[in-house]
Amino acid sequence: MSFIPGQPVTAVVQRIEILKLRDGDNLILGFSIGGGIDQDPSQNPFSEDKADKGIYVTRVSEGGPAEVAGLRVGDKIMQVNGWDMTMVTHDQARKRLTKKKEDVVRLLISRKSLEEVVRQSMMQR
Amino acid sequence: MKKSKSGCDSGLQQSHNKKPKKNHGSTPGTPGQKAEEKSRAVIKDACFSGPERSTNSSCTMQKQHADKKPRSSSQEHLMKTSSAEDEKSDLDLYRGEEEIAEELKKQHQPDSEAVVEAQSSVSAAEDLQTYSEKEWRGNTTKSQLIRKGYEAIASEFRLCRVRGDNYCALRATLFQVLSQSKKLPAWLQDSDIVKWPKELHSDENFLKEWQFPLESKKNNVQHLEQCLDLLKKKWQEAVQCKSLAERERMSQQVFRGLNEEYELLEALKFLMLRTAAQLHLNMEKGSDVPEFCWLLFARDSSKCPKTFLTNHLRHVGFSGGLEQVEMCLLGHSLQQTIKVFRLYKCDTEEFITYYPNDHKNDWPHLVLLTEDDRHYNALIPKKSSRFDEYGRPKWNPPSDGQSNLTTPL
Repeated sequence: MSFIPGQPVTAVVQRIEILKLRDGDNLILGFSIGGGIDQDPSQNPFSEDKADKGIYVTRVSEGGPAEVAGLRVGDKIMQVNGWDMTMVTHDQARKRLTKKKEDVVRLLISRKSLEEVVRQSMMQR
Repeated sequence: MKKSKSGCDSGLQQSHNKKPKKNHGSTPGTPGQKAEEKSRAVIKDACFSGPERSTNSSCTMQKQHADKKPRSSSQEHLMKTSSAEDEKSDLDLYRGEEEIAEELKKQHQPDSEAVVEAQSSVSAAEDLQTYSEKEWRGNTTKSQLIRKGYEAIASEFRLCRVRGDNYCALRATLFQVLSQSKKLPAWLQDSDIVKWPKELHSDENFLKEWQFPLESKKNNVQHLEQCLDLLKKKWQEAVQCKSLAERERMSQQVFRGLNEEYELLEALKFLMLRTAAQLHLNMEKGSDVPEFCWLLFARDSSKCPKTFLTNHLRHVGFSGGLEQVEMCLLGHSLQQTIKVFRLYKCDTEEFITYYPNDHKNDWPHLVLLTEDDRHYNALIPKKSSRFDEYGRPKWNPPSDGQSNLTTPL
């Protein structure tokens, strides 16, 4: 999501509910994250704005809980269980996703392809 | 005893009761001023090696009341008077005429060779807190307010004192351009500014009225062309310096009170004139212009660019400094935002004022300091500043060195 100074920032978002998989003592989500305010944003291949320090999905395990729930590589995680993820360090993001007491994480994600779909459907009117 | 502090905190005293544009008539007829006359002559020779103008020397000393006595510090012939309310202060900041004359006499002899040499017109960087405590002793409300202002910025900046004559606003701005500017502005890169004087002059001999501080064999247009060429060269040189030390050396070379410095200052004045002419044209056409333009041309004495030149701009450096609205014009002409900490406005929303204020986020900042809107000094950011040149916070680099982590969950 890029921004134009003076214009409101809009994003098309989707809710994704991931049921964590128990593997012995671990709770697995089945995806990897990259990004964070302490990371170098220019290395992110998924972001539109190379200064975007948000949290992005960098890998999704095949058949894992995340893929099943509809998460895709390149998704930007905006919120986790109501907690903001747009202004967190990498480690803070990891912690918010891997709380032992939570079986389910409800994510709010934004996806470029989603925005395109919405834009196109608006143009067809 | 009654003392009153003038606005100036360095350089020679300027009147702070009158508007700087008026000709102050610099020769006092009051008796017992012989020592003053002598000291003034010494100072004039010491800091200004150009030709003299009969009444409007750029090292004008202003005296309004016989009991107001300036004191001079030994190094740079700085003149100051202390505040009228400063009676509670324990320290006697008051020095008599005789003491001053004697001191100057002492200096004048051994330094008679030094007088011929160029003197620096911008001091080296110094600590703001120390400066503030030294200059503003005493416990009046004003002293406390000014010291509070200094304290507020002492952790972010250091002070470069600028010679206090009527060029000081331009000089401080020029100094910041040469020592802080990171890139050439678009208008300097895109246009051949050396062509501008001729263009402007072709419209009714606009530049006929121009005054230069130093004589030259060239006519006004050619002289200004030379000034603009020098400005372009120096700005480019500054921006291309590879290290801070190199840059500092380069600025010191310029600010020695010689021809070069005055040509650059006149170049800035020219840019102001040209911009004023353009803005006036736009105003007449009905196009959008920045707010300050209305104020600039609302004054009876400068209803149009020609009168602006005749009544205001041509006197800048001689008998007057820059008014606030003219500071906006200066910033606008250079496409830089002149950010001024105005210490006497500490505790109000005008403590920091931007000239102009409509491009705070996209034009680079040149930071100045004034105690009274009359004399301007330059502020150099301290290296540990947490803010970049636009006033935005700088991010800390990642501490563990890993900057593109991907974590499986």
